[in-house]
Amino acid sequence: MQNEPKKTLLHGWHTVHCANMADFGRYNMPLWYPAGAKQEHLAVLTAAGMFDTSHMAAVLVSGPQSFELLQRCFTRDLNACAGRDKSALTPGNCTYGAFLDENGFVIDDAIVYQLADQSYMVIVNAGMGGPIARHLEARAGERVPRILDLSDRLGKFDLQGPRAAAILMRVLANPEKVLDSMRYFTFKGCMDKMACFSDAVRLTDGTPVLLSRTGYTGEFGFEIFLRPEHFIQTWERVLEAGLDFGLLPCGLAARDSLRTGAVLPLSHQDIGRWPFINHPWEFALPFVSQGAGFSKAFIGDQALLNIRSPEYTHAFVGHDLRKVSAHDPAAVIDAGGKKIGEVLTCVTDMGIGRFEDRIYSIASPDRPEHFQPKGLSCGFVKTVVRLSPGQTVTLKDNRRKIEVVIAGNIRPDRTARRPIHQMMAFGR
Amino acid sequence: MKEIDDLTIPDLRFAQDHEWAKLEDGGVRVGISDYAQDQLGDVVYVELPQVGETFEQGAVFGAVESVKAVSELYMPVGGRILAVNEKLEKAPELVNADPYGDGWMIVVEPADLRQLDALMNSAQYLAVLKG
Repeated sequence: MQNEPKKTLLHGWHTVHCANMADFGRYNMPLWYPAGAKQEHLAVLTAAGMFDTSHMAAVLVSGPQSFELLQRCFTRDLNACAGRDKSALTPGNCTYGAFLDENGFVIDDAIVYQLADQSYMVIVNAGMGGPIARHLEARAGERVPRILDLSDRLGKFDLQGPRAAAILMRVLANPEKVLDSMRYFTFKGCMDKMACFSDAVRLTDGTPVLLSRTGYTGEFGFEIFLRPEHFIQTWERVLEAGLDFGLLPCGLAARDSLRTGAVLPLSHQDIGRWPFINHPWEFALPFVSQGAGFSKAFIGDQALLNIRSPEYTHAFVGHDLRKVSAHDPAAVIDAGGKKIGEVLTCVTDMGIGRFEDRIYSIASPDRPEHFQPKGLSCGFVKTVVRLSPGQTVTLKDNRRKIEVVIAGNIRPDRTARRPIHQMMAFGR
Repeated sequence: MKEIDDLTIPDLRFAQDHEWAKLEDGGVRVGISDYAQDQLGDVVYVELPQVGETFEQGAVFGAVESVKAVSELYMPVGGRILAVNEKLEKAPELVNADPYGDGWMIVVEPADLRQLDALMNSAQYLAVLKG
């Protein structure tokens, strides 16, 4: 049946463990487990959480012209996107960006991993392996690189939270060597037993994995790729290794509230069929300097530079945890009572709260004594006027109005970029 | 997610929108069912009316918020609000922990008790959940 939702390899595990399941991106996925979305969210801020992300798709692009094709189709300049000094992408590095159509609209966002010279792995969202593979094939020149859609052919889970390294150290062979100096947006190892560009990363039972210091929660952690035949047993092993560290399996609800608090957009909701520009993630476009043209030509570039009626995407944070329903739909109203846009995402980040004039996270080192956040609503809006951080707007759905503040940042003291040596010692 | 057979369905009256109603001395106590709280997930906020307000049967009397969503609450019977559960302001999680007990939401002075009789009994509600 074409309309039947797909199942990941862990589907049986999720149902046995009483997950509340729902369809997402044509996959039947866990929303939360019995601990509940709130505890799962908090676990990722204070300990660690594990997410089944094998509904996401991988597309391998290899052979001559691979670099040229991705450079033409991806929004990041592969010659200037790695690390803080914006150096060229090299094997072992990965970078976040998007694939646009000729109108500058987002087909999907993605992380491009360089595996070797002229060899890349492109990770896209659930159900997008086929569309992105076809998009690349259609835009390749005469010499089409090898483009392989690996949808449903690999295992992937994310281990996120400050204790992620300490947990991994229990299951990795040679953990110090593997984790040593591993920077944000770098990766090591490969899924196959074949030799890869770097030393293989193996678990103590010999399972080879590709270990990437990335994730979509804003917190320190890893995305772990492995062959399907090793997937379920490895998921269970890592979960068991982290139990006494407070590791929880986490569903999509916690993932959604975590990523929103970290100001990370959800593809097809916060970025989508409108121009991929004027949003909080300017780094995802190859600007030479702010707004002054691009460092390379890419599909969609002219459309982005020639926008006649611009729209702006902004993050916001509320004064308490009350939300509006983005599906209602909910409108953005300015101080004069005029509708200036719509709400794209509105969730509650349960790990944060206001105290005096500041937002603290449950993990903020300088949080007030006995700080117990009730949560704050937060999300993204799309408006027809440019707003600035600190500006107040009203969000209105069919039920209520809430005042929110446009924000450059939402959840403070996130751990994603912390030096790994700090995180290897976290909580020990 | 609870299996249907794991759900608690006491001998109360139930509305299509998963509110329960129970006739007591002095009014009809109202909350949401075990099924509803299980589907919503962690309840983080409950918006309730003021005592003294009057609502028709089926009218929205408040909202229940989970981390992800806001869901409206509908009057299973019309009438005047006699009491609201003030504990939910500080402890909304009571709706998850004890939906038929400490997680109650309002007490209504019913305008017409026949509305209560017309709601589903527990067997009928179970049949609806089983689809």
